[in-house]
Amino acid sequence: MVRIENIKKRFNGRNVLDGVNMSLRRGEAVALIGPSGSGKTTLIRTINGFVVPDSGKVIVGGKGINYRNKESLRQTRKKIGMIYQLFNLVERTSVLENVMAGALGRLDNGVNLISSTIGLFHKKERDKAMELLKFVGIEDKAFERVDRLSGGQKQRVAIARALMQDPELLLADEPIANLDPKTSRKILELLLRINMEKGITMICVLHHLDTVKDNFSRVVALKNGSICFDGETYTLTHDHIHDIYEFEEETGCLAA
Amino acid sequence: MSGSVSATYVKRVKGFFLWSLFIIIMFLSFRVSNLDIKTLVEGFSYSVSLIKEMFPPDFSRWEKILLLSIETIAMGFWGTILGMTISFPLGFLSAKNTSGGILYNISKGLVNFLRAIPDIMYAIVFVTSLGMGSLAGVLALALSTVGLLSKFYAEAIESIDRKPVEAIEATGSHGLGVIRHAVLPQVFPLFMGYNLYLLDHNIRAAMVLGLVGAGGLGVELFTQMRSFNYQKAAAILIIIFAIITVIDRVSAQLRKNIIEGKFLSRENRYKDSLLLLIISVIAMLSLYFIPVNFKEIAYGIPRIWEFLKGMFPPDFSGIADYIKLMLETVGMGISGTFLAILISIPIGVLSARNVIHAPVIYNIMKEISNFFRAMPELMSALIFVAAVGLGPFAGVLAIAIHTAGFLGKFYAEAIENVDPKPVEAVEATGARFIQRIRYSVFPQVMPLFNSYNLYILDRNIRASTVMGIVGAGGIGFDLVMSMKLFEYQKTATLILIILLTVMLVDWLSSYLRKKVV
Repeated sequence: MVRIENIKKRFNGRNVLDGVNMSLRRGEAVALIGPSGSGKTTLIRTINGFVVPDSGKVIVGGKGINYRNKESLRQTRKKIGMIYQLFNLVERTSVLENVMAGALGRLDNGVNLISSTIGLFHKKERDKAMELLKFVGIEDKAFERVDRLSGGQKQRVAIARALMQDPELLLADEPIANLDPKTSRKILELLLRINMEKGITMICVLHHLDTVKDNFSRVVALKNGSICFDGETYTLTHDHIHDIYEFEEETGCLAA
Repeated sequence: MSGSVSATYVKRVKGFFLWSLFIIIMFLSFRVSNLDIKTLVEGFSYSVSLIKEMFPPDFSRWEKILLLSIETIAMGFWGTILGMTISFPLGFLSAKNTSGGILYNISKGLVNFLRAIPDIMYAIVFVTSLGMGSLAGVLALALSTVGLLSKFYAEAIESIDRKPVEAIEATGSHGLGVIRHAVLPQVFPLFMGYNLYLLDHNIRAAMVLGLVGAGGLGVELFTQMRSFNYQKAAAILIIIFAIITVIDRVSAQLRKNIIEGKFLSRENRYKDSLLLLIISVIAMLSLYFIPVNFKEIAYGIPRIWEFLKGMFPPDFSGIADYIKLMLETVGMGISGTFLAILISIPIGVLSARNVIHAPVIYNIMKEISNFFRAMPELMSALIFVAAVGLGPFAGVLAIAIHTAGFLGKFYAEAIENVDPKPVEAVEATGARFIQRIRYSVFPQVMPLFNSYNLYILDRNIRASTVMGIVGAGGIGFDLVMSMKLFEYQKTATLILIILLTVMLVDWLSSYLRKKVV
C-alpha cells in the first residue's frame, strides 16, 4: 500500500530524514515513535506531499508521488486522510461544514465543483457526513460551532472529516498529544476501530510507549532521521528503547 | 435527525427574510443617495476634470499657508493636552474597577454623551458663542477628545491584571496608593499610546474644523474652494496631506516603540528625551497662535448658556420632516459603507502579505489605503461637492473613500491573521484552490469582515449627519441652518433625533457584531 524508498531531506543544514525505507501492507496499522526532532512529522508529510524530499521515492497505492505536478499531488492527497495534533479545524463554522470539507477532493469536477463552492452539497453527501458523525459519536453536535467543542470532540470532527474523503490511508500526527488521558484512550480506540472495521491503512505518530505497546502490533522507531527499529511490538526490548531515546550528543537533544 | 432538519428549514426561511430585508434597505439607500452606475461614472469623470483644474497648484501664498499650518497643529496639540487633562481623572471615574456607585454612572454617561456628538458640532457651538478663530477649535477638539480618550483610558483600566493590585492591597495600602503603584504602571504605556493616537487624530480633525470657521488651514481651504480658486486650494490640500502623512508615520512609529517598551529605554534615552524637548518647545511656541482672550471667553460663556437655554423647549413642529431627513442620512451612511466595501475588497486582498507574495504590490496597496484613511471626509466632501454638485451623492463618495482606507487595512489584517492549520488540512483532502479558499480562508475571515463592516456602518451613519455642513447632503445642513438662523429650539429637536439615531445604531451594531464573531 505504501512504500518509502530511501527518502532524504535536509532542513537548515541538518539531515532530518537520512535514507528512510519502510513499507506498509494494505490494512496495516503502524505506530511511529522516536524522540522530538527525529523526523516523524517530516516523514509523514512526505507521504501527502507537504514536504518534498530531496531524494528517494514514496509510492502510495502502486503509484509513485510526483511532487512537481500539482494535479497529480492532489489526486494522491484525495486518497489520504490526515489527522493533526491541533485538529486543524475551521473554528468559526459548524461541525457539519468542517466534515463536508473532507468531500471537496472527491467533488472536484463540473457541477459538483461549482455547487460545493457555493456551499451546496448533494443530499447523499450530507447524509454520509451525518452518518460519519454518528460513527465517531457526535451526531448531536452537527450544527454547533466548532469553537464550542472540547478537545476530544474536535478530534472526532477531524476524524469524521478525514473519513469523508473515503481514504485508503490515514496519517495521524500525534492525534492524542493534546488530549487528557481518558479522552486520549477513547480517540485511539476510535482510530483503531476505523483501521479494523473499515480496513484503512494507518500510520500513527505517538509519544507514549505504553499506549503503543498496548495497541499496535507493529512499531517503527526513528532516530536522527533514520529507522532504528522496525518490527513486532513484543520484540521491542528495554535495550531498544534505551537506544532510541538515549541522550544524543551530536544533536544535543534530550529524549523524553 | 428530524429535529435538525426542521431547524435548518427555519434557518433558511429566516435567512430568506433577512436577505430580502437587506436588499430592500440597500435599494432605498441607493435611491436617497442618488447612487447608481450612471451617476458613479459621471461623478468619476467630473472628479477627474476638477483635479485637472487644480494643476498646477498655486503656492504663491505660502507664508499664509505656513502660518496657518502651524496654527492648525497648535490647535490639535492644545486640544489634545486639554482633553487629556480632563480625561485622566474621568477615565478612572468611569472605569468599573476604580470607581463605583452613582459617580461611575454619571461619569460613564457623560463620556458616552460627549462621544456621541461629532467634533464639528462642538466647533459650530463654540464659533457661534466665542466667535471665529482657533480657540473655538481647541475647545471643540478638547471636548471630543474627552469623549474618546476617557473611554480608552477606562477600557485600559478595566483590563488590568488583578494580581499585582491584590498584592499592593495586601500591604495595607490606601486606595490612591493602589492606583499609583499597581494600576498606573500597568496602564501607563497604553495611555501614552492613546494620547499619541488622539494627537494624530486631532491634528487631522483640526484641518477640517476651519470649514465652520474654527481656525486653521480649513478656513483658507474653504474660502479658496468657495471662490473657485482651485489651484490655490490644491496647494493647501497638498500641504495638508504632507502634514497628515508625516504625523501619521511619526505617531505610528512612536506608538510601536511605546508598546514594545523601547520608548525612553536605555539605548533610546537621549534621542527620545531630545524629541520630547523639541515637542514641548514647539508646543509652548505654538501657544502664541491660540488667541486666548479672556475678555472674549467671559463674553462667550453667557452666550453658550443662552444657546443652551434657547433650546428649551424643543420645537417638535417639523418632526416628520426631520425624521425623513434622518432616514435619508442613514441611507447615505449605508450607501457609503456599501461603496467602501466594494472598493476595499480588492485593496484588502491585494495588500495581504500571505496572498500576494510580491512586496511591491502589497506595499503599494497599503499606501493606497493609508492615503484614503488620511483624507478627512469632510474635506473630501468639500471637493466632491465642487466636482459633482451639492447633495448626498458627494457625501456618499467622501465617506466611501475615507472608510475604504480603514476597511482595506482591516481586511488585509484579517487575511494576514488566517490560521494556516485548517488551510493545510483542507489542502490535505485534495481540494482545489477555490475550494480551499471557500472552506478554510473564507469561514475564518468572513465573521471578522462582517464585524468590521458593521463597525464602519455605525461610524458612517454618524459621519453622514455632519456632511450637510459642506452641502454634501443629509440632516447636517438643516442643523447648521437652524443654528445660523438662531432657531435653537429646532436645533434641539434635530440634535435629539441625531443622538437617538446614533445611539440606536450604536447599540444595534454592537449587538450584531457580538453575534457574527
